[in-house]
Amino acid sequence: MNFPKPSVGMLPNDRLDYSAITKRKPLKLPKGARMVVWTITNVEEWDPTQTMPRTVLTPPAGGSPMPDIPNWCWHEYGNRVGFWRLLQVYDDFKIPGVMNINGVAVQAYPDIVKACLDRKWEFVGHGFTQRNMQKVENERADIRKSAEVLQKATGLRPRGWLGPGLTETWETPDILAEEGYDYVADWVLDDQPVWMKTRGKPILNIPYTQECNDVAMMLIQHHKASEFYERAMDQFEQIYKDAKGSARVMAISVHPYIMGAPHRAKYFRRIFEKIRRKRDVLFWNGSQIADWYMKAGPKPE
Amino acid sequence: MHPRERLPYSPIEGRAPLKLPKGVRLVVWPVLALEEWDIGRPMARMVISPPQGQPMLPDHPNWSWHEYGMRVGFWRLRKVMQKLNINPTVTLNARVCETYPSVVKACIDSGWELNAHSYDQVPMHKLDDERAVIDKSMDVIEKFSGKRPRGWFGPGLTQTFDTLDYLSEAGVEYIGDWVLDDEPVTIQTRHKPIVALPYNFEIHDIVMMALQHHPSDEWHGRALDHFDVLYAESAERPKFMALACHPYLSGVPHRISHVERTFAEILSHDGVVAWDGSKILDWYLTESRLRDAA
Amino acid sequence: MANPMIPRERSEYSAIVDRPPLKLPGNARIVFWTIVNYEVWDIGKPMARQLLPAPTGVPLMPDVVHWGFHEYGMRVGCWRFFELYKKLGIRPTLAANARICEDYPRVAREARDAGWEFMGHAYEQGPIHKETDQAGMINRTMDIMEKFCGKRPVGWLGPGLTQTLETPDLLAAAGVKYIGDWVYDDEPTVIKTTKGPLVTLPYTIECNDIPVMIIQHHNSDYLLQLVKDQFDRLYAESARRAKFCTLAIHPYISGQPHRIKYLEQIYDYVNKHDGVLHWNGEQILDWYRGIAKIEAAA
Repeated sequence: MNFPKPSVGMLPNDRLDYSAITKRKPLKLPKGARMVVWTITNVEEWDPTQTMPRTVLTPPAGGSPMPDIPNWCWHEYGNRVGFWRLLQVYDDFKIPGVMNINGVAVQAYPDIVKACLDRKWEFVGHGFTQRNMQKVENERADIRKSAEVLQKATGLRPRGWLGPGLTETWETPDILAEEGYDYVADWVLDDQPVWMKTRGKPILNIPYTQECNDVAMMLIQHHKASEFYERAMDQFEQIYKDAKGSARVMAISVHPYIMGAPHRAKYFRRIFEKIRRKRDVLFWNGSQIADWYMKAGPKPE
Repeated sequence: MHPRERLPYSPIEGRAPLKLPKGVRLVVWPVLALEEWDIGRPMARMVISPPQGQPMLPDHPNWSWHEYGMRVGFWRLRKVMQKLNINPTVTLNARVCETYPSVVKACIDSGWELNAHSYDQVPMHKLDDERAVIDKSMDVIEKFSGKRPRGWFGPGLTQTFDTLDYLSEAGVEYIGDWVLDDEPVTIQTRHKPIVALPYNFEIHDIVMMALQHHPSDEWHGRALDHFDVLYAESAERPKFMALACHPYLSGVPHRISHVERTFAEILSHDGVVAWDGSKILDWYLTESRLRDAA
Repeated sequence: MANPMIPRERSEYSAIVDRPPLKLPGNARIVFWTIVNYEVWDIGKPMARQLLPAPTGVPLMPDVVHWGFHEYGMRVGCWRFFELYKKLGIRPTLAANARICEDYPRVAREARDAGWEFMGHAYEQGPIHKETDQAGMINRTMDIMEKFCGKRPVGWLGPGLTQTLETPDLLAAAGVKYIGDWVYDDEPTVIKTTKGPLVTLPYTIECNDIPVMIIQHHNSDYLLQLVKDQFDRLYAESARRAKFCTLAIHPYISGQPHRIKYLEQIYDYVNKHDGVLHWNGEQILDWYRGIAKIEAAA
């Protein structure tokens, strides 16, 4: 089918052709490993003078009054208390952390940044604020500022990007490549990394998840807490099986205000109790996945 | 004031632990909310939407749904509380003193703490004169019960940037609206500081049952999951667990047994007690004074 | 009508613990009241419930998908109900849009001949607030049913339980003796109208397959669990005072193959208990009128 082309940027199929995963040359991981699991922790700052990105409790008779202190607090709990619960799980199971953080949150939560730096976590750009990329005034300035804040706080320029709520404009991958990002994770369309064209040099997309994602499961679909564990295991077992001949990647994405709540934290822990023992499963961060694929995978066209 | 001006960010990790009285490690804070749903307005929550979905006034089915809670459900919850020897904090729209005096009287006779929950179940943002409604709510409850409430919950926990200043001026000492920590915190106002007690949204029957539509027994499932974690953590530092019930939700026949066994099982653990808001506040005020002095 | 009464003027607040217990005849302690809802969904209007919203979420007309969704209940689902209640010897209350007598005479005849109680449920399915002539619609509904059954219905349930403030007055004027719209008590109550007292019976929006399945999206077996939990508690309380456990079902929901066995199991469970009466609304009303001083109360 032919869709009208956007004036700036590209349509998805102009960036990458359709490709069936079974028809590709097998991908091999080092030391006979079958699959990679990467776990992303999302830290945001919610501006109390704006409408809250998500709500747990709506006001009587509905609507979205301003300010929305109850829902601001609900999120703030995650950074005061919940994050430290998740951190314990990462420490106990030696999981390399990926910190997906808004630029403003870097300034707001220095204790969290420091805890991650102490553990050599990878920092990923996640927008300067938690706003739809289609609504930020100047997308390039936002992307650039996010990188600068992270460089200043961590000493390293971020290599990866994940848009707030995975939002993109038609142009986002072009700008990311131009601003020096090596990979993006917004395109949840494969179990393996894929190369995408941009108007400059190509950019890599690595598999992220909207399924094993606590926002989708807990806030939108309203599943009970244990379902996060159940679904992660179902997801893991299937990908493990699928990865017999060719490597695959599984992502798990959590937010401290959701999975860090007391009644949910144990189900997050239980996932790693179960899968961390597998010898042929690698626990990597995004940069490790990108570096491996750039060497082991097909070269971009 | 902007919330950050009222309270700077502080991670729980690295804070000096508070100390509960000997033998106590976790405090359960039961909260029972009583509301007034005015038939002349859209109902606060809906169990059933009209055919074709658009809300209509008057909304009789949902008015009745809530009224059941006051006629029948409340009395069932009261029996459970009495049986388990629990004194909950009763947060009430002040107007309930006028429209359901026998219900409020039953709470007072049981020795339960009354906590102000505005005058009507309407968001604070929609009031023309917030300060006047706060004063009126406090006065009506004080006049009815002989005691000025010490605590406050906003309807649906709503607040404007000024609410806390008015509350402090009206004599409120603690609120439950700031669900952002596992411990009480002291927040600044233009008047006297107010303590925010650790309330929660998660073990909350409106959130779980009316908004997220969980099966009835999930109340017990989620509450016990929540408790297990906090109880383990309470070996290191005191923990608090609020449980919020509304008669029209928790007092219905198919949920009440799950509510009862939840409280019973949690309170059967060593070192677990049920305190009302006022008691938690008194302990915290003493504790923070001691800590400041040290 | 000028200034109709608000609910509080029709019924003062009353705490259940302050009332003397009601007593059922003999050793009976609890009434299980089944209400079956048969409706007419007019293809010329938006459909009453939407299981699968149209792509982009904007409702489209005609909505053949949901017309068909409901029609399945009248073609297939309701026959599962008829078979079940015949086997159980239960004559439920049928809350039916009067228009089923015209659009689905085959179904209406089956219910009438099986001795089900016909309850007025508007002419067709839409909120009562939108009726331009509410009194006319109510009378027409009652007249059509009276002509079809040879007997005027005594009960009424608003479509989706909707009422305006004057509805109880209009219903009493049309000869309605009880309503199910006030789900505010465990017991029958008497409310005031300008045309004399009207009885409310304890209907339910909890044990009702629309909220449970269509709005709250529970698993198929959850209605069974919910009714068990509801019944267990009411049964325990019925040791001291008469209780009523009500179940409301729709053929396009509970008549689905994946749900029907759970409906059957509800009756298996309830019937294991002693002292359970399967009464319809008219039977509850007759008993209540015999023991309550209705005129004096109102």
